[in-house]
Amino acid sequence: MSRHVFYILLSLAERDRHGSAIMRDVLALTDNQLKLWPVKLYGTLDELSHEGWIRALPTAPPEEIDAEGGHKKWFRITAAGRRALAREVAAMEGVVRTAQRRLVHTGESS
Amino acid sequence: MNGVMLRGYRALIRCQPAMVRREYGAEMEELFIDQWTAARRRGRLPAFACWVRAMGDAARQIPREHWLVAGRYSREDSMHTLLSDLRFAIRSFSRQRGATLLVVLTLTLAVAANTGVFMLLDGLFLRPVPFRAPASLVYLNERAPKLNLEFTGINYPDFVAWRDHTHSFAAMGLFGVEDFTVADGASAERIHGAIVTWDVPAALGITPVLGRSFTQDDDRPKAAPVVMLGYGYWHSHFNGARDIIGRALRIGGTPYTIVGVLPTTAEFPGDVKLWTPLGGDPLQQYESYQMDGVARLKPGVTMRQAEADLLAAQEPIWRARDTAHVVSPRVMPLSEWVARDYSTAGQVLGLGVLVVLLTACANVGGALLARASFRKREMAIRTALGASARRIVRQMLTEALVLATVAGVLGTGLGWWGVRLLVLSFGDQVPGWVHLQFNLRLALFGGLIVAVITLLFGLIPAFEMRRESMRDAIGTGSQRSSTSRGERRTLDILVVAEIALAAILLVAGGLLARAYGNLRHVDPGFRINGVTEFSTALPASIYMDGVKERRLFETIVDRLAAIPGVTSAGAVSCAPLGCHWGKLYVAEGSVLKPGGENPIVLTRIASPDYFRTMGIRFVQGRAYVPGEERQLGALFPLVVNEEFARLHWPGAGSVIGRRVAYNGSAMNTWMTVIGVVKDARHYGLSEPMRPGVYLPMSILDSTASRQQFSFTVHSVGDPAALFPAIRAALRSLDPELPIIQLRTMQNALDASLAGRRTMMIVLASFAAIALVLATSGVYAVLSYVVGRRRREIGIRMALGAQRREVVRMVVVQGARLVGIGLVIGLPVALLSSRILGSLLVGVTSGDVVTYVAAMLVLGVTGLVAALAPARRAASVNPTTVLTEGS
Repeated sequence: MSRHVFYILLSLAERDRHGSAIMRDVLALTDNQLKLWPVKLYGTLDELSHEGWIRALPTAPPEEIDAEGGHKKWFRITAAGRRALAREVAAMEGVVRTAQRRLVHTGESS
Repeated sequence: MNGVMLRGYRALIRCQPAMVRREYGAEMEELFIDQWTAARRRGRLPAFACWVRAMGDAARQIPREHWLVAGRYSREDSMHTLLSDLRFAIRSFSRQRGATLLVVLTLTLAVAANTGVFMLLDGLFLRPVPFRAPASLVYLNERAPKLNLEFTGINYPDFVAWRDHTHSFAAMGLFGVEDFTVADGASAERIHGAIVTWDVPAALGITPVLGRSFTQDDDRPKAAPVVMLGYGYWHSHFNGARDIIGRALRIGGTPYTIVGVLPTTAEFPGDVKLWTPLGGDPLQQYESYQMDGVARLKPGVTMRQAEADLLAAQEPIWRARDTAHVVSPRVMPLSEWVARDYSTAGQVLGLGVLVVLLTACANVGGALLARASFRKREMAIRTALGASARRIVRQMLTEALVLATVAGVLGTGLGWWGVRLLVLSFGDQVPGWVHLQFNLRLALFGGLIVAVITLLFGLIPAFEMRRESMRDAIGTGSQRSSTSRGERRTLDILVVAEIALAAILLVAGGLLARAYGNLRHVDPGFRINGVTEFSTALPASIYMDGVKERRLFETIVDRLAAIPGVTSAGAVSCAPLGCHWGKLYVAEGSVLKPGGENPIVLTRIASPDYFRTMGIRFVQGRAYVPGEERQLGALFPLVVNEEFARLHWPGAGSVIGRRVAYNGSAMNTWMTVIGVVKDARHYGLSEPMRPGVYLPMSILDSTASRQQFSFTVHSVGDPAALFPAIRAALRSLDPELPIIQLRTMQNALDASLAGRRTMMIVLASFAAIALVLATSGVYAVLSYVVGRRRREIGIRMALGAQRREVVRMVVVQGARLVGIGLVIGLPVALLSSRILGSLLVGVTSGDVVTYVAAMLVLGVTGLVAALAPARRAASVNPTTVLTEGS
């Protein structure tokens, strides 16, 4: 799973968002490290919708209709998307555990 | 500025797949504008950086999206579809075997002509100089406008002045081609070599593959003789042995130490097998303009700056020695010099093949239109059955790809083969640096042609059909007949264009053929039939003495004359067709002013019997008799040609007894004219003759010439039968005497015409291709018209029209097309054949015979092409046609 996909799913796992909100959230999540530029962002969203991991909502959530994001396309993570994200996180956990064990055993004492 | 940047971004994101764009395009743009506006608040630079990154993002992502979108449509069955498309294409071709064959033939011929010419141009012009950074390599020489000489060759002291006093050149060297006799005691071999100054390898950027390059010490007068071997020679004569460095090679009787082996690229200039240092003397007293120069420009130096630099360096020479400014340095790109003899040929070939290509395009375009209109029904049905537009375009492209690939492979092969044949017919006229090979560039070029044909052939009908179906949807009422009228007009224009283009090529080919025919009937001024010639060269160490040298030559002549069947034999220092040795003369009572123009004179030393052997006719006086010049108190005799007499004593009757001397020599060395000979075509049948003189053999007594000398033999019967006897005669005198270019005069003459012959053959084949294309175009368009008008013809016949009238109607249509094509084509041919320029000898570009012949050929073949469709039209059965449902 690419970094873009992972963070988009992670962002949508918290709540439904529209494109520019996802961009801002990912920027915050990665401490300004990952900036999703427009074409990449929407291209990935399009890919993920075809994959069935997210879906575009027919309308904006009622509380947002009149707000700034009212005319935008909102996205929601699907059950399949949550499962994919969970698998990825589990795999990461495995890597993190292994890495920590190795760091303990092979590190030179300073 | 901001507007331009925004528009650029918009244009880029518009390249996304339509689905993505429709869905998210507006939001993408909005998001971009948000970020960009924020960045602009921070300053102009951050704004620009933001724009650049957004553009980069789009450029990276868009191809991926296209790939994914395409995958969504064809993932399930892309391979299957391709196979079925292929199968369908092949089936549909085999159903229309004749038409398909015609299209493939057309394309094959066009591809063949193009790859062939590409190969030639590639070999001749694109890569003639196989050295590092060839663009900065220049050729140096000197010119002498007063002597009517474009190239005089370089005098060694001039070169030294240039080398020492110019600043534009990174390195500069002199080279000259010379033949060397390499002997091993039992036999001698004559090989092509070069003498070079020590800095030539540096200028060309060559490093030896083995051993070392020449040093400055190798290149001093009287230095120990050294040699570098060519890569090919090293392999053929030493098996590529690595221990040859330091061994000796006996050249002209002197042992030369082998110091290095040149890389394969260094067979420069031409096909040379070894290099030796020039060993020039900067203080040499005599003038010897005979070397060529090569130099590498420093980075950033232009040709003009280099020339100015050379002229400045020449200044002291003009002040000290050449006060009349006779010679001055010149410089040109090395590649231009290498291909100089081929620039007219290259232009003619390039333009000729362009015309072939255009003809083929017109032809294929016609075939395409006709085919598309016949397939409209098929496509309509397939669309009705649910085939998507995408699917139909794919089908068309697959078909085109099959056709183009077949034509591409056949055509590339045919072109390659044709050029090989051509090169064989060139014989030894092909310069050694031309390597015509089937290489990657040729393969790429073939691939490119296939791609272009596929797109043209596949996409145009597809678009045509799309437009067609849109018009159907709009529902214009009478579109059917109007389209076919439009198509008719397009087809007519295409055929007229083909005829006109074919006319141009026919005229050009015809003019060249006429010129060649004329040349073959030019009187060369010397005997061709029954004459054999060859040359030899003397190892200097053995025959250092001029008298000995002359005696040997006279003995050779005597031995040759004694061979049974030989009627006479002669010796000459410079035989016709391929030799020049020029000197300057002054003549008593000449009309030329001292210090003014004084053309260079072709100077030959000839034995008394040479004139009789070569059948050279005397218009005044006689040939010298053996030994006449050595008699006490005798005048030194000299024979001049008509051109020489015309130059110095125009209008004078008899010039016998007038005196001539070398330019600049003391006046006590006058020579006396005892005979005037007819001008002979010494430089080839198409070249004008220079003034020339013949000197008796005893001139050799005072010079150790060390040069090549030629012998001519006249015999009865087949001259080639004499070859073994000639070889034996020389071997019996000295086994180390090389025999160079033993050939009949007829062969020599043929070789001198080979270039013209080749040009004629190439243009004739272009003309033939264009003729085939134009004829098939006429046939195709008339067939199409007859097919379309079957009903109309049937009705006419039902109303009483005679078959003869129907035939006439179709033939007249064909004749009209051919006629218009000729009316357009012939004037264009008249204009364009001017570029043939120097290739036309004895015929003007407006030669009536050629034009009439071209007209007849096109007219007759056009009519023949019209006959088959005409007969088909006449065989229309009115009842069948009228009862056919419509």
